Order: sequence, then C-alpha cells, then structure tokens
Amino acid sequence: MSKILRIDTKKKTYAFEEVGADLAALGGRGLTSRMILNEVPPTCHPLSKDNKLVVAPGLLTGTVAANSGRISVGAKSPLTGGIKESNSGGILSQKLAKLGIKAVVLEDKPDNAGLSIVVINKDRVEILPADPYVGLGNKEVINRLWDTYGKRMGVMSIGPAGEQRLTAACINFADPGGRPGRAAGRGGLGAVMGSKGIKAIVVDDTGATRVPVADPEAFKAANKRWVEILRAHPVTSQGLPAYGTAILVNIINEAGALPTKNFRSGRFEFAQGISGEHMAEVIEARGGKTKEGCHPGCVIQCSNVYHDESGNVVTSGFEYETIWALGANTTIKELDDVAQLDALCDDIGLDTIETGVTLGVAMEGGLIPWGDGKAAIDLLEKVGTGDPVGKIIGNGSVFTGQALGVDRIPAVKRQGLPAYDPRAVKGQGVTYCTSAMGADHTAGYAVAPNILKVGGDVDPLKKAGNVDVSKNLQIATAAVDSTGLCLFVAFAVLDTEDGVQTIVDLLNAQYGLSLTPDDVVSLGISILKDEETFNERAGFTKIQDRLPDFFKEPLPPHGVTWDFTDEEIQQAKQYT
Amino acid sequence: MATVLFNAFSFLQKKLKAQNRPYAGAWIDLADESTVADLISLMGLERTDVEAALVNGTVTPFDTVLRDGDRVGLIPPGTPGPYRVLLGMRGRDNR
Repeated sequence: MSKILRIDTKKKTYAFEEVGADLAALGGRGLTSRMILNEVPPTCHPLSKDNKLVVAPGLLTGTVAANSGRISVGAKSPLTGGIKESNSGGILSQKLAKLGIKAVVLEDKPDNAGLSIVVINKDRVEILPADPYVGLGNKEVINRLWDTYGKRMGVMSIGPAGEQRLTAACINFADPGGRPGRAAGRGGLGAVMGSKGIKAIVVDDTGATRVPVADPEAFKAANKRWVEILRAHPVTSQGLPAYGTAILVNIINEAGALPTKNFRSGRFEFAQGISGEHMAEVIEARGGKTKEGCHPGCVIQCSNVYHDESGNVVTSGFEYETIWALGANTTIKELDDVAQLDALCDDIGLDTIETGVTLGVAMEGGLIPWGDGKAAIDLLEKVGTGDPVGKIIGNGSVFTGQALGVDRIPAVKRQGLPAYDPRAVKGQGVTYCTSAMGADHTAGYAVAPNILKVGGDVDPLKKAGNVDVSKNLQIATAAVDSTGLCLFVAFAVLDTEDGVQTIVDLLNAQYGLSLTPDDVVSLGISILKDEETFNERAGFTKIQDRLPDFFKEPLPPHGVTWDFTDEEIQQAKQYT
Repeated sequence: MATVLFNAFSFLQKKLKAQNRPYAGAWIDLADESTVADLISLMGLERTDVEAALVNGTVTPFDTVLRDGDRVGLIPPGTPGPYRVLLGMRGRDNR
C-alpha cells in the first residue's frame, strides 16, 4: 500500500519500491534516521553523490488525527557532519501520505550545474528543468508554482542559499497561505537539496484516496479524546493561540536565561519590546493574524502573520527562536527590524536560529555594530548574491567566526545554540551537548507523565536531576517526531494522565496493532541509538559533546556557570 | 516597607491593563513581611490566575516573604514547553 519514491537526481529518473518489513513500523524521524543509517556512508562528504535526502511524513500523517501533519527531513548534515533530522509544518506532508508515499528519497547528484523540480501527483512523477525558478527567493518560487500547478499545492523549496549549497541553508515549506513561513530549518539540509540539483518538490494530492485506517471506530474515539486533551489544556488552547511561541521571550528573560549579546547575559533590557505580548498587540493593531494553524487539522494555531505599519504582510511564523536569535542575541530591539530579518531568512532560505547566532558573531567580529537592525538587514541581503561576504554569513556561525577571528562562538558540533542559555537552564544544556543533532532545542522537547521519572523539584540552575530530565525528554521527543504529530502536543500530554495512551490508541487503531506506552519509550530509544551509531561511525566521540569553554564564565543575573564533567554529561546517553 | 520590581506576563498583561494597573517594570511598595501571595492580591489577581512566580529569576513558593529590591515576575497557566519542567514550574504546589 505505502511505497517509497526514489529519485535518481543524476539520471532524472524515479522508481517506487515496496516498503520492507524492517521499515514498515517507522515513520517521520524514526524512518529518516534508520534509512540514513542504513544507506548513507557515514564518512561521505554531505554534498557528495553518496548522501541522501529523505523526506518522510509521520505514522499518523494523512489521517484526521488532530495536529498530525508534520514532516521529517533527514540526511548527513553539511553543517555538523553528523546525522540530521529537521522537522517542519506546512501542507506538503499530508499530501504525500494521502498519495501513499511513505518517503521521498533524493539520491546521487547531477553531473552539471542545472536545477530541476520534481512534480508528484496521483498519476505520475515528473522531473523537469527548473529554469523558471532558478535564483528566485522562496516567496516567488511558491507563487509561480501555485500559478503553474494550482493553488494550495504542497511545495518544499530552496532559496538562493540552498542553490549555493551554503551550510546555514534550510528547506522552506508552503504554509496554508502560500508563504514560505515554515521550514526544515537546522543543519544545512537546503545545501543537500541544492547539491542534488533539486530546486523544489511539488505535491498534488487531487484524486488521492483516503489513508487507510484499520479500525475506524476506535480511531474516531481516540481522536475525540485527543482533541479534548488539546482543547482542555491552557497551553495548547489559550497560551499558544494567543501569543504563539513568542510568549517565551518575557518568561525566559525573567528566568535570567535569555541569551543576550552573544551569550553574555541572561537578561535583555528591551525584552518587553520584542515580546509575544507586544507582538500580538502590534499584529492586532495592523490587521495581521495572531493565530493560524500551519497545517490542516491543527487545533493549536500557534502560527501568526505579521504586518508592517502600512498593513502589508512582512512575515509569517514569527517564532520565539527567531525573535530571540535576530533580536536579543544581536541586541536589536525594534520588532519591525526583526520581522524584516525573518522575512529575508524565509525568502533566501536560511535557518533563522543559525543566522541570528551568526549575526551575533559578526557583530562580535566588528563587521556590523551591535543592535543595528538596518545594518543587519543590509548584511543579510548579501547572502545568495555573488557577494563573498554573503557566502561567509550563509555558512553559519562557526565559519563566520573563523573568517573574522572571533574567539566566542556559541556552537556545539558546529551548530549555533538556540534560545536558552545552558548555564541557566541546565537540562537544556545537557541536550545541547548530547543530542546527535548538535546544539538543538527540540531534540529534548516532549514529555509524558509516565516517561518523565524525575522526582521532586527540578532546579534549572543546578546540576542535580538535569541529566535525567534531558535524557527522558530526548527519548520522548524522538518518539513523537515519528508520528507526524506537532511537538507542541507534548505540552498538553505532559499534564494529562492518558495523554500518551491516547497517542498509542490512535496508532493502534490506524495500523491494527497492540502497542503500549512502553513501546513508545522503546521506539524513542531505538531512534536515538540509530543516530548515535551513525555519528560514531562518522567519527564523533564524547569530545564533541561539549560546550565551548567560555560557558564556564558566570552568567548574569544568576552568576551560574557550566560545570558538568564529561562523565556526568554522558549519563544522558545511557538508556538502559 | 519593601519596594519590589514587578512584571507580569502573558494573559496577565491584558488583565492588568484593563484594570489600569501596571504590568511591566513597575516599582510597587509593599507592607513589611508581605509575601508573593500578598502581592498577587494587591494587584487585583486571584491565586489561580498565577501558575508560577519568579523571584529574582527563580521559581519561588507563594508564601515566600519579599525583600526590598526583589524582582518579581508572575506567569499564568499557558506557558509552553518543557520549560515548565526545566525551570521547575511544574509540580510546585502553590495552592
């Protein structure tokens, strides 16, 4: 029923293959990581013919289960040199699932520099010259593809950054409004797609049959409970729809963990001006949207659309990580400047987190002044043009730091740190060090009551208990990433007794299985093991599981330092 | 008397604004030995409006006595993320 679509990017041919027994039970991140482990030589150059880009919906994607439309993209990362799974919203995933496609795999690479697009519908797959789209930003690419193939087509595309194979390049996904506001952001997967000569993939599910469900009645009952859970919880039903993830700006700032001026302090004086509360006020006043789902069936609606003073759309999917990276980290305090930078990232096709950390490093190196939004915009516009400075910035924080002779580069495994200082949120710091993904905030993001075995209180400023917290979060997250469910469902699941059981009920009803919550734990662990194994074979050791030395400096306001030993950190990878 | 620096977040901002009360960077005078709970009432809020209070950047029980110069941040239910766990907000019984 479900098939894998392999695209030979050198010969421009394709083939469908049956799914083997070893892959049948996997989806999303579980599938991408297993396939990368099985099929990609771990020592290959990530831009070479031997790397593969695997695009996979999750196990529940394509059903009517609420919030099940996410997608996973996997490869060997050109940024970290290790395995990467990058997760995105948008409308493409459900369409692939409805066409019965379990994964799309881009293999080999073309001999010449030409670019192609891949168009998938229920009857055929076409690999066509990308001439009308070469060199264009993602916004225009989606516009033109929708003009040619129809509105509301699933689209994943790269901008000029990916075309040039820059290591901060991401893959953007069309959201329901046709904007490139969602992205498989981290780890340079846009560069991999560019190295395979693919500018865009278009998915049209017109005429597709429904995704088969083994027990429709049980599924309906489980989904009813699932929606209840999401609608009952204040995070998923009130906090996120009202303010989006940007609600965290003020809270993380208050906790003294908002990395400011390239990780010098945990408090930003002007946090309120770039906060979710202020952003919502501005959006309302200017006629934007404070809430929107990034895929059909989302009941959380945490996305948004931000307008300028004249009421024109500037950007969408204006997230906490983005606002922090391009704002507090660089000390840029004008929300309009931050929005403009986000729009540029979406169009050029750059990871906003990596770009924000890079801009901070660029300011550290004296390339542009601290807090200068206009200078940052001018600098970012160079990426994707022929300008050599653009090539430096587009290759991320470590590359830029080296080019400028900077000694303060906040990265692990060459990936820039996200929006929580590890010294003030130690559980998060352990995740940055130990995740196979590099410094990653979503790797250890999901929690369920019967998985989290943390007794007593968790103190973010102290070491105790935080290794366990990180480990359990990473296990649970890996499992959720395989289902196609949006990670944010975890916020409700954390506090709901039967949260994990309901997810298990959905899986059982769809596939006719008898899984238990313990199986969810096992699945999470097996995915982490796949990823660790790949990285080991690629040459990683525990030496790469470290934060840079400068994190031993005390961080104001709490005066905390990073004081874990290698041995303590490695406990987060002991799963049995 | 103790004077504390007061911030409130998320839905509390709108709620306080509607009552013409301050919600960001406001210095508030408190009677001696006032607790976090006392401050919550003083600002016209219910205990159930607040999931966690950060005092000088750390999650603190509501019966904590506030000192002169303390910085207080009030957070209502609805904070996303494992940050509720990672910051120590989840599981604290503040009722």
